[in-house]
Amino acid sequence: MIRKTAILLAASTALLMPALAEAAPAKSAVASAPAAPAIPRQADGKPDFSGIWQVLGEADYDLEPHAGRRDAPPGPGVVEGGVIPYTAEAHERRKANFAARAKDDPRLKCWVLGVPRGVYYPAPFQIFQRAQDLTLVHQFGNQVRTIRTDGSDHPQEKHQEFWLGDSRGHWEGETLVVDVADFNEETWLDRAGNFHGPDLHVVERWTFLDANTINYRATLDEPGVYSKPWTIEVLLHRRRDKGFQLIEDYCYALEYDRFYPHKDGQ
Amino acid sequence: MMNVRILCATTALLLAGHAPVASAQDAAPAPQPTAPGIRWQKEVPVIASGEWTGARLPDGQPDVGGFWSNTISNHSNFTDPQAGPPGEPSAAAKLPRDQRAPSRVSDPADGQIPYLPAARALQEDFARNFPNPVKPRYIEPLARCAPAGVPKSFMWHGYEVRQYPGHFVFLFDSGTRIIKLDGSPHLAPGIKLWNGDSRGHWEGNTLVVDTRNNNGKSLFGRYGDFMSENATVAERFVFDADGKRFNYIATFTDPTVYSRPWTATIPARRYTVADKPDGWHFDVKPVNAPGKPLQYEHYERICAENNGPFGGGAVGVPSDEAVIDR
Repeated sequence: MIRKTAILLAASTALLMPALAEAAPAKSAVASAPAAPAIPRQADGKPDFSGIWQVLGEADYDLEPHAGRRDAPPGPGVVEGGVIPYTAEAHERRKANFAARAKDDPRLKCWVLGVPRGVYYPAPFQIFQRAQDLTLVHQFGNQVRTIRTDGSDHPQEKHQEFWLGDSRGHWEGETLVVDVADFNEETWLDRAGNFHGPDLHVVERWTFLDANTINYRATLDEPGVYSKPWTIEVLLHRRRDKGFQLIEDYCYALEYDRFYPHKDGQ
Repeated sequence: MMNVRILCATTALLLAGHAPVASAQDAAPAPQPTAPGIRWQKEVPVIASGEWTGARLPDGQPDVGGFWSNTISNHSNFTDPQAGPPGEPSAAAKLPRDQRAPSRVSDPADGQIPYLPAARALQEDFARNFPNPVKPRYIEPLARCAPAGVPKSFMWHGYEVRQYPGHFVFLFDSGTRIIKLDGSPHLAPGIKLWNGDSRGHWEGNTLVVDTRNNNGKSLFGRYGDFMSENATVAERFVFDADGKRFNYIATFTDPTVYSRPWTATIPARRYTVADKPDGWHFDVKPVNAPGKPLQYEHYERICAENNGPFGGGAVGVPSDEAVIDR
């Protein structure tokens, strides 16, 4: 009780006596507030994104602004400018996808979610980083993406139609810029049926906001499907829960795992 | 879609064609003296545990990153690795036993897994039914794109090692193993996984790994050899000082399946730019970096999305149905 009073008195005194507060050395005030930890860096000084990351948000339910509905919580949308600039024809397909989303979303088969969807799908992924590459291991399904940062280019052989595209990165100051190209058209962008075609081109920009937050931006371009390039932005948060680790989630195997080892499945 | 079909066909060839492909490659002029086919080496070299005298990474780990693959055979047959799968004996199966690679079971000395009688019956039942699987339980899980798990991942296609402070990562065609080197505790024992949950540390030239939380579902190969979800696996990856080889030595303990712990030894060798890509052990493409020294990379590893039906004893099961509700 006495100590509390003393603290209150001291605080009041400080408030009432600005001159005294000013007299206190400014340095000690700065030192008493914990400094924001510096962002992690590689040996060569580039930002080091190693760690386990996860989005906190509604992007995977629907990239566009939407009110709450049976299968999605409300979300303000993550598309700059609000809506995806589909061409008229593509907009019709998007509407059909939306109507069939309860059965047609490839995520329901636990298939590769693609790029950028795997990044904002609400499951953790782990980044392993070396000077020459980043390896993204997604917990969901069997999705592993290598982003080479060694100055190499996309493969000379085109139209290989990768599920994750082919990723090549380079640093622009503090930002990892990744050019992702050569996709197939099997993946969706979210649970609402937003989609792309086989000529999708994605440019990602990964930038630390602070040591435990990444600002992730992706610009998607595909003439014929979109009338102009468009950009999404989400924040990725470092999973810091005590003892947290990726736990494999090969959910496509749930269809048959009851038969093993040597079981009839009952 | 066309690409999917092509990839399906490729997968079918690689999966179903294990025996014919191997035979054809065995018969053809060897493209390189070291690896003319899937099953090529008969000897398992001895690599002693000891100090590591090779290159190290900045964090002190022996530098063993890169591409690796098994040297004696795929997973068709665990205890007679070059004799082929059930119902499809290889050409080498006619030779005297000592002219093929030894059993992967290095202890006990008879080369057999010391099953309890009920477990042996289950394994033999699988092997008998593998060529004509009339029930889902007789379909090889890898043919359904299940993770190959422990230890089968080391008998399938080539794989890649990437090392990081605190982590040792295997990238397999059918899944990924992240071995934590940070001394943290295992997951809760009720969590059972295809690849188990691994904790490791280096002892000289040997990566010592304690793997628990196994679900036992991946089986060891086409003869149905297996462990249960009660198994623990003590793995030792013993790397040769020249960085060209390692032996995978794993002791399986499971009192519900085996009468005693037993040990498997699976040899592996490294693949580098000195090797020609072969689409199996070393399934890589040149990195597109004009003006720079040759490097190889493995493109994305995909299976469930492209799987399709095929023959040859390994029955693929295409799946296009919802499997999750989350």
